[in-house]
Amino acid sequence: MKIGTLHLEKRTHVSWYVQGFSILIALAGAFGVGALLIMTTGASVGEAYAALFKGAFGSRNAFLETLVQSTPLILTGLAMVVAFRARVWNIGAEGQFFAGAMAAAWVSMTLHDDLSGPLLLAAVLVAAMLAGACWAMIAAYCKIRFNANIIIVTVMMNYIILFLLSYLLSNTWREPGSYFMQTARFERITYLPRFFSSRLHLGFFNALIASVLVYVLVWKTSLGYSIRAVGVNPVASQFKGIQIKRTILTVMLISGALAGLAGGGEIAGLQHRLRLDISTGYGYTGIIIALLGRLNPVGVALAAIFFGALVNGSTHMQIFTGVPVALVQSLQGIVLIFLLMSDVLTRYRIRRTPHAD
Amino acid sequence: MTNPNPRDTGRAEQGSALSGAPDTGCEKEVSSILLRVDDLSKRFGAVQANDHVSFEVRKGEIHCLLGENGAGKSTMAECLYGTYQPDGGSIYFKGRQIRLTSPRDAINLGIGMVHQHFVLVPPMNVIENIIIGTQKKGLFLRTEEAEKKIQRLCDEYGIDLDIHAPIKELSVSQQQWTEILKALYVGVDLLILDEPTAVLTPQEIMALFRTVKKMAEQGLSVILITHKFSEVLEVSDRITVLRKGKLIGTVETRSINDRELARMMVGRDVIFRVEKEEVKPGELVLELDGVTLRNSQKMKKLDNIHLQIRRHEILGLAGVGGNGQRSLYNAIIGISPLDEGRILLCEEDLAKKSVADRMMACLAGIPEDRIKQGLLMDFSVKESLLLGRHNRPPFSRFGWLCKKKIREFAERSIANYEIAVQNGDVRTGTLSGGNLQKVILARELAHDPCCVVASQPTRGLDVGAIEYVHRRLLDLRREGAGILLISEDLDELFNLSDRLAVIYKGRIMGVFDVNDVTREKVGLLMAGISE
Repeated sequence: MKIGTLHLEKRTHVSWYVQGFSILIALAGAFGVGALLIMTTGASVGEAYAALFKGAFGSRNAFLETLVQSTPLILTGLAMVVAFRARVWNIGAEGQFFAGAMAAAWVSMTLHDDLSGPLLLAAVLVAAMLAGACWAMIAAYCKIRFNANIIIVTVMMNYIILFLLSYLLSNTWREPGSYFMQTARFERITYLPRFFSSRLHLGFFNALIASVLVYVLVWKTSLGYSIRAVGVNPVASQFKGIQIKRTILTVMLISGALAGLAGGGEIAGLQHRLRLDISTGYGYTGIIIALLGRLNPVGVALAAIFFGALVNGSTHMQIFTGVPVALVQSLQGIVLIFLLMSDVLTRYRIRRTPHAD
Repeated sequence: MTNPNPRDTGRAEQGSALSGAPDTGCEKEVSSILLRVDDLSKRFGAVQANDHVSFEVRKGEIHCLLGENGAGKSTMAECLYGTYQPDGGSIYFKGRQIRLTSPRDAINLGIGMVHQHFVLVPPMNVIENIIIGTQKKGLFLRTEEAEKKIQRLCDEYGIDLDIHAPIKELSVSQQQWTEILKALYVGVDLLILDEPTAVLTPQEIMALFRTVKKMAEQGLSVILITHKFSEVLEVSDRITVLRKGKLIGTVETRSINDRELARMMVGRDVIFRVEKEEVKPGELVLELDGVTLRNSQKMKKLDNIHLQIRRHEILGLAGVGGNGQRSLYNAIIGISPLDEGRILLCEEDLAKKSVADRMMACLAGIPEDRIKQGLLMDFSVKESLLLGRHNRPPFSRFGWLCKKKIREFAERSIANYEIAVQNGDVRTGTLSGGNLQKVILARELAHDPCCVVASQPTRGLDVGAIEYVHRRLLDLRREGAGILLISEDLDELFNLSDRLAVIYKGRIMGVFDVNDVTREKVGLLMAGISE
């Protein structure tokens, strides 16, 4: 006897709880595979995950540190939301992050005598956003003028800026007499204010404000409508008078500015000096965050805090259970894979085929 | 195991025995049946494309499958040709149950099909295209024998075709002949033609039907899929009508008229001709003055086009698809900049005006592909209605969307245009073709345009929706708009237009008062023959 086979049926409507459910399934799957990885180290899965949780949320300070870790991720995630909503595949947030960091560093190094207090801090952050936007605009220009593939151009730009920074750090910007490739520590006046006697700095609140602004931009303004329309159907948008090229340019500028702000915030809020390792791939992780948050600014903030928690908790986990920090990095990748798989669940439903006989 | 599916053969024998049993009274009748479809069902997702459909095709019969778009005609054909596998039911061919897993099975059994989209190799000639894939042995194509056979087929069925010409130099109708020859060459007993007349001029349709009748006389069975009554009544022996995937019935052609057929197809009475009232054309609204457009290879897509449209007037543009209609639409609404000439809207040159500017100057466009060019299927109906107006008052103020105004506009549009949807928040993609077109009409006509360019406004719509669109266009004409109606449907053009222009290879072949021109004349012009 033959049992009816299963087949996929496209859903006409995807409700929010189906979406939420698919995200939960993806996370469960990822932690399941993570458990297998933990077992290979010989540690107890329960203890390792408990330590991870405790490290991330176990105390007031742990929680605040989680927020610190999530700050750049919220911003790079938002950068992706703006771009991906228009189906502009900006993979260059990493480069734009560095552009922002470099601009912030430059302002901190050169203008700290000319400007004072809040004005200097504003200059640092605005410069970071401008630099990120300019760096993104190069790719946007290649796309608009030569119809270059924006994925390839943005990825290449990431390497270019890294090597540029590497050059600067080994020559002009290098701290005199230092062994490391880094600038000197900046003047205290360029530091962003910190709160709750922790490392939590103004950048986190900037990121929250940015979430709200991006939400408003995408859903409440006519520019946001254009961005979404171009993403959904560029041909119809063009037929109704939306200028595609202008929209791509705008989107890249905003996206780049957000990623640049992430870089500037890290410099002025946390690092206070420029090094090559200020980013642990925040630009790329932003892609996962944006997808995990379903291209929704609120979802992105939550996803970023979740990833921040993973990173923050991982140190605690390594110290107390010996499971290496690298587990969390692989976990992030695994989340993405499961997320893409669970996407099938949101777009299709599984049905049993009534058998022909 | 030599037989991959031994159960099937057993079943087939059993099946034919069973099918023979009740019909023993008329032995002759049974043997004359070539194909029998029994209770066939096919489902795509939520759509039941074929719902327990049964019908028979006799030997030497021209059998029409008639139905509106989405009635399940093409799905049925693809099941018979092995492209799809039915979910339920059975197919008997020459008295045996068959189970097709691919078109190759169908061809081997003697079932051929000509699709709407041809599968030909453009640089190769007709002979090569026909024998490609049929030769079992040898490295090189042996064409001499094949050539004789193909020429014989052409003579036998009265097909007028230069079989040495490369495909890329052939017209659409000649390419269709090649596809038909492909099927005849491998020796089919049943030929399925899927909407064969959609791309042909009236004269070419006549020639096709002559050949199809000849084929039937020689004992070949033909299934003709179409939604046009006139063709069905002209050429077929019997008609099977489908509606929404269900079988309505099979009838003898000589015992039915077009009204009865329409009722079967649509499920209610249909008004064939919308009443067009007499109105006097007013002042000029749209003027095309020597419009020329070239493609990237500097070939002319539009060649020195002069057209004038007045208020209270519908100018129909007839032509076989792909003769520059699309370029003309794009040029008028402002997507393609002109290489030469001018377009004047109410005596104002549009050259420097963007798509959005032209819309504000009271030009409206109904694009030919409503899904790709007109709508945002993933957006709500409310938002689809907003496209193009999203950045101007009253819907947007200082860059902010005015939620209330947008909702009111959606509610008004849904009510005025009878869009079948609960509210404006429903996803556009869930609407049927007719309702999608209503969304576009509601959006485009909201600002009382003085000039409307409608490209294939009824393509793919069911009869009810077509009637609705026609009425709206005539309302617009009465209210004083000038309308350019681009269509491939001659019935529609003759019914609605005041004047008719014919386009061929980007040139206007002539403009006529609709009462002073015959279909034959228009048909010839559509094929590029001016005398």
